[in-house]
Amino acid sequence: MTTTTAAEAAARTSGDGPAVSAEDLRFSYGDIEAVKGISFDIAAGEIFGFLGPNGAGKTTTIKMLTGQLQPKSGAVRIMGRDAGRDDPQTQARIGVCFEEKNLYDAMSGEENLRFFAALYGAEGVDTGALLGRVGLADRASDRVGSYSKGMRQRLMVARSILHQPMVLFLDEPTDGLDPVSSVAIRGIIREEAERGAAVLLTTHDMWEADELSHRVAFINEGQLYAIDTPENLKLQHGRRSVKVRRRDGAGVNEESYALDDPAVGEQLRAAVESDGLMTIHTEESTLENIFVEMTGRTLEA
Amino acid sequence: MNAARRAAIVRAIVAKDLREFSRDRLWMVLTPLMLVFYVGILWLLPSTVDESIDVGVYARGLGGPVGEALASDAISAEQGIDVVLFDDAEALAAAVIEGTEVEVDGQKRSVAVGIAFPDDLAATLAAGAPATVTVYVDAAVPAEIQTAMTAFVREATYGLAGIGLPVSQAEAELIVVGEDRVGAQISPQERMTPLIAVMVLLVESMALAGLVAVEIQSRTAKAVVASPASVGDLLSAKGLTGTLLAFSQAGLVLLLVGAFGYEPLLLVVALLIGSIMTAGFGMLAGSAGRDFMTTIFISMVFIIPMAVPAVAALFPGAASGWVQLLPTYGFIETIVGVTAYGQGWSDSVGYLLMSSVWCVAIFGAGWFILRRRVEAL
Repeated sequence: MTTTTAAEAAARTSGDGPAVSAEDLRFSYGDIEAVKGISFDIAAGEIFGFLGPNGAGKTTTIKMLTGQLQPKSGAVRIMGRDAGRDDPQTQARIGVCFEEKNLYDAMSGEENLRFFAALYGAEGVDTGALLGRVGLADRASDRVGSYSKGMRQRLMVARSILHQPMVLFLDEPTDGLDPVSSVAIRGIIREEAERGAAVLLTTHDMWEADELSHRVAFINEGQLYAIDTPENLKLQHGRRSVKVRRRDGAGVNEESYALDDPAVGEQLRAAVESDGLMTIHTEESTLENIFVEMTGRTLEA
Repeated sequence: MNAARRAAIVRAIVAKDLREFSRDRLWMVLTPLMLVFYVGILWLLPSTVDESIDVGVYARGLGGPVGEALASDAISAEQGIDVVLFDDAEALAAAVIEGTEVEVDGQKRSVAVGIAFPDDLAATLAAGAPATVTVYVDAAVPAEIQTAMTAFVREATYGLAGIGLPVSQAEAELIVVGEDRVGAQISPQERMTPLIAVMVLLVESMALAGLVAVEIQSRTAKAVVASPASVGDLLSAKGLTGTLLAFSQAGLVLLLVGAFGYEPLLLVVALLIGSIMTAGFGMLAGSAGRDFMTTIFISMVFIIPMAVPAVAALFPGAASGWVQLLPTYGFIETIVGVTAYGQGWSDSVGYLLMSSVWCVAIFGAGWFILRRRVEAL
């Protein structure tokens, strides 16, 4: 698990400034206000989990950050430049992995990458190595139309990183994938962050967000409810207790001890020394529980 | 971003589009078939017009074989006339009016014009009395030939008898079949060339529409414009792809049928304008299409009316006023003028200007609509 303190995360935003800066972003579809004034920064090398249910405003926010939508108000800065549609200097520094699998089915995986490499002016990129990195080396010359969903998703990720972007936007990159593909993609996300790229990751998968993200933001109905490290959120909102399970005759007995209770030391010692001890676990809250507690909605809603 | 980088991006998108086009089985089968079919049709059509006309002559009244021979020689002296001698005036009338074929030297012949000298012509002329020669003319024979025939009979009888005779026509019905070009008729091949050129262009607009529709429906356009490629780069590439596809194939057809023999540059300019215009149609149809069938249907909505001026060119003079308002009229008239009538720049400049205005309007509309579609993805 990636563990980063809030201080470390904050430290990333110092120096040359944040890689991504969103300031009071607002956007409406007609009368429906999809994004209601959200602000956050993402530092270089940081994986920023952007969590929320369908319709929360995640994709609209990504569209504004990548220049596909012009915010009604507010400002977006990418690597210190004002972001906007048709700004090639900004576009050259970002990589986008869309939620939809928008690949050219009539072309091979390698041809897809070569085409986008030409758009980015990265004709010299080793597409073979990149395809190997996402586990598609043996299918490089096959048409994408014959790829499985997992293979297409891995190719999408490869396309988003082929020009070594400084900012990476990944919209549900592991949604609906098999465990092997998910593990491969998570590995690539970590490697990109270690290379120094700022990564904005949207996902429904709370475990994945917890596993990967240095910080997470909760968004619901166009508003941000929290931005912090997963550890801090769990500490602030989770229960500080220890659950002890013991065999008790034919059954199993469960007891919970509050960590803030002065007597917890004695209670735990007694539990450890007692007969029939099975397990002892801390009772941390999950990000999903915290999200539900804060927003009143589940992520699958 | 400098112009060279922009050009490289547009070139990459065009190359990608052409690769996709080459992978589409429908177009890969349809395109060569269409080219072979069109060129084959043009090669099979006659490239010349048989301008000779069979004229039936009943001339017993001129005094037997000598008189018949004199009449025959006099009539045949007119270029392009084959004389068929009849022994019976009624048979001649039936041959012209009812279209009955007659056998001459083992060949079936049909006569469109018949000249019947009256049996008592020699005696009447000798007596100094007036006589009448009857000219039978098929309804399809142009008025100019009818007039020529009557004038000619007067001249022939004047040569024989020293006086001109009154001539009457039987059952003459005038039908005008286009611009009269006696001695320089347009061959069927020449008539068909503009229609085939415009059909190639318009069918290629469907190919571009298909490419645009796939790009929109699969949302790959969204990935392209999220890269350093701008929406303008994408639209430029689409316009270029459509123009290349249409121009190369229409140009190839015209090259194969030898249409570039006269004023090739003028023809190239006209084809280029037509190709850009059809690229505009392709962008419009591709933007509006929701799937393959709707894209084809919308393309057909453009193709059918746009082909009307080319169909009208098959029948010169038949174009109504509204046909001249159609966007393709100007460039089709230019192609017709060059390939069929040997017209040059001075004759075609008006049509080229008209086509250019339409070209800008249609390409602009295609650009605007497609831009909105891409930005809305």
